[in-house]
Amino acid sequence: MAIDLKANTCPNREQRAGAINAYYGKASDLVKEARQGTLTNKEREFQQSSGCVLNFYLTTRVVTIRDAVMIVHAPVGCSSTSLLYREVYRRIPLSEGRPADFDLHWLTTNIDEKDVVFGGADKLRYAIKEAQERYSPKAIFILASCTSGIIGEDIEGIVADVQPEVQATIVPVHCEGIRSRIIQTAYDAFWHGVLKYLVKKPTRKQPDLVNIASMLSYTWQDRQEITRLLNRIGLRPNFIPEFATVEQFEIMGEAAVTAPICPTYTEYLSQGLEQEFGVPYFMYPSPVGIDHTDEWLRTIARYTGKEAEVEVLIREEREKWLPKMEKIQEEFAKARPDGKKLEILGSLGQGRLLTQVPYFEEIGVSSPAAIIQDFDNLVLDEVEQIIDEAGDFDVLVNTFQAAELAHLTRKYDPDVALTCPFQGSAYKRIKSSTRIHALRGDARQWSAQAGYKGAIAYGNFLLQSLKNRAFQQTMLDKTPDTYKEWWYDQPDPLHYIKKEL
Amino acid sequence: MGTAYAIKPKSESPYPGVVEAPRYSCALGGAYMATLATFGAVPILHSGMGCGMAQNFGQNFAAGLNDAGPQGNTSTPCSCLVEEHAVFGGEDKLRNLIRTSLEVMQGDLFVVISGCVPALIGDDVGAVVKEFSGQAPIIHVNTAGFLGNSYKGHEQFFEAVIDQLLTEQPVVRKRVNLLGIAPYQHVFWKGNLQVIKTLLEQVGLEVNMIFTEDNGLEALRRIPSAELNLVFSPWSGVATARKLEEKFATPYLVFPSVPTGPKDTTAFIQSVAKRLKLPKRKVEAVITHEEHRAYRFSEYMAAIATMALPNAYTAIVADTGTAIGLTRYGSNELGWLPEIVILTDNPPEEFHDEIVRNLTEGLDSIVKPEVHFEIDSHRIRLLLREHTVQLILASSLEKYLAVDELNAMQVSVAFPVYDRLIVDRNYAGYRGGLALMEDVAYKYGGPL
Repeated sequence: MAIDLKANTCPNREQRAGAINAYYGKASDLVKEARQGTLTNKEREFQQSSGCVLNFYLTTRVVTIRDAVMIVHAPVGCSSTSLLYREVYRRIPLSEGRPADFDLHWLTTNIDEKDVVFGGADKLRYAIKEAQERYSPKAIFILASCTSGIIGEDIEGIVADVQPEVQATIVPVHCEGIRSRIIQTAYDAFWHGVLKYLVKKPTRKQPDLVNIASMLSYTWQDRQEITRLLNRIGLRPNFIPEFATVEQFEIMGEAAVTAPICPTYTEYLSQGLEQEFGVPYFMYPSPVGIDHTDEWLRTIARYTGKEAEVEVLIREEREKWLPKMEKIQEEFAKARPDGKKLEILGSLGQGRLLTQVPYFEEIGVSSPAAIIQDFDNLVLDEVEQIIDEAGDFDVLVNTFQAAELAHLTRKYDPDVALTCPFQGSAYKRIKSSTRIHALRGDARQWSAQAGYKGAIAYGNFLLQSLKNRAFQQTMLDKTPDTYKEWWYDQPDPLHYIKKEL
Repeated sequence: MGTAYAIKPKSESPYPGVVEAPRYSCALGGAYMATLATFGAVPILHSGMGCGMAQNFGQNFAAGLNDAGPQGNTSTPCSCLVEEHAVFGGEDKLRNLIRTSLEVMQGDLFVVISGCVPALIGDDVGAVVKEFSGQAPIIHVNTAGFLGNSYKGHEQFFEAVIDQLLTEQPVVRKRVNLLGIAPYQHVFWKGNLQVIKTLLEQVGLEVNMIFTEDNGLEALRRIPSAELNLVFSPWSGVATARKLEEKFATPYLVFPSVPTGPKDTTAFIQSVAKRLKLPKRKVEAVITHEEHRAYRFSEYMAAIATMALPNAYTAIVADTGTAIGLTRYGSNELGWLPEIVILTDNPPEEFHDEIVRNLTEGLDSIVKPEVHFEIDSHRIRLLLREHTVQLILASSLEKYLAVDELNAMQVSVAFPVYDRLIVDRNYAGYRGGLALMEDVAYKYGGPL
């Protein structure tokens, strides 16, 4: 589907790519149904809070754009996630390459009872001018909310009205929480605003510039590793959006290629850059694991004329890292006394499904099932490729439904359960639990996952989880469960699925 | 961008709500936090999908990197309203959600909290909740994010409890409830409550902390049987105390803060003892013992107090209760000079004069603080730049400003706190001041 930048916003992920977030079954059936167009979303009778279009932390990502201001046009609670803005990233030492001028700003319009009746347009106008006057930013992002949507606030009209009076480029983002069940719609809506208002028509090409777009999924060490690798073959990464300057958005049209880290989070941007500015992109693979890092680099090299250089790089890197990987493989191979492959239950987004299963293959462990936030038809070929390589597997599609995750974790009882703060009590268990990935401000070597360095760090990290289970065992033993026992006794994690939408 | 903005704050804004990073969440957030702090209570959000999960970063993590507990964050049942519900109504979705939550969630009390969306589309949430009243203890906090901030929601939680759950009971002599400490907004809430409880038990009282009591439902139900309610903020919790007085004739005492250090703690105990006519000798014995121990222990920090921070000019940026407690301890026991106090919890106008009195009278320091009521983090930054101070007790929003712009030590003591874990830590009671000094000196570090 072509991107229509004349429209105020993108279509929802449901319309654009048939996205769903309620499914439990074989991966092969999921792909088949998606291809046939018979895949439909389902309503849950029991549901848990799971993030919305505004607040699967779009706020905390947009606010990190360095010379911009974020205005959240919403009641005061919708932006409270951004209270971490002055600390996030700041503990990364300057010696690790963090820019020194890192001063972030955001405003709330604080929609109140009166605004709900009379509208908040004047307040938003004032907020825009105040942002300009206070901070002299290059861009002002306006994030919509459920309330601004339901009261019918004409954000586009207000922007058109105020833009001539302020220097900063105003970028409206239609991330009303109620607009979609699929949190990825948020990212499409953000990229729509970026493509429409910020990216400039290129006046020149920068053949050594590689756009690397991601939402959250990489740590600081990952950026360092990717930078190191690209620099070695004479290329420069343009990391978007976190930590970027507005200029980095403006020049995206000049890049040689857009490369993925979490492909479906950023697919709308990649597609838009190709359609509008002729910047090619690819969706697969991402630089996780040694083999996929090779392929990721090779693909970038094809778009940048670095085919010869990349082979030298890959050879040298493999020489350096493969012995370390072999040690990790050996340790995993003898992890289970019965000689079987160790089982790890993990994944998060579709992108991580595409990286995790092959990486598990690489280190010699297996995955009894995959859990993904949502599923759409943007990566069907890639998922099929994974099924071909790793064999068919069970998939639970749910957006942070903690009861379903607890159920599934107990049902499969993997040797290691990968978890995060959004999986509730699933970490309490007899066997191993550890985190899926680190958070963005975490600059420790320990937390790397991308590139060659990350492949080794992540492997060692997973091995650590096998060596002591005291925390999760103690918590299981000493704290009551959130759910009643019958929930685990019945067989279906989607017990409360109701009907087709 | 750089960090050096010299823009002066304007004196009056036509839209005082338009601000950078106000230090609280919405009314739904406050009601939700109160529910999570009531052990055994299960919140049920009738709201958009993100209203619960968002609070995990905006309230729980923000209160000293805390989890939301077994019923919080993504474990919280939520009707997850989307556009079609906004068009056709969300009552059916809520009805199913309550039914299934009663089936699957462990809990003694169910608290339905309605947010912006049902308020805007006109769902009759109260009627749906009533349908379940025979099946389990269940109440409805009829709020919305746009109705106010976390403190407002905290009060609305108690309004719902009082109106829908509590019944008149015989008064039990020497039983007191603790009010005014809003979970998570007061980052030391858990420790503060426990310290006050333990202290008052020592002088013979029976104390209902409400939050973090083993059985939250029972704790709530016991509220009307108290002889006296104690409020630990000049304003937050006063509305709840007034309503309890109106409905159950329970009198209340307002303390401007949780007492920090021996002097204020002794005064606090004596005030409660006098009001409840406790036997003097027993009370004085407790005071003598606790004071002796606290001051004997103070000997261990005297070198650091005099070498690291002698007569430090201090800035305090905090909610009112925390600010008053720390200002008084610093000024009256440590010899600090309170240069500026910025209050970030937006107390209603009617309380302002009393708050300023609490912050400027009864201080040993010749320096009296300039007191500001300011919710805008940008303006707070500009205000701080106008002062030269050596120690900043504030939120973690001031952590890097203190070092980069103000050349001062900073310790995070007020919401939001993203740079330290606060589980049981607190600055309450006789040893609270020592705990504060331990944290301050940790920032100083190093040998003398």
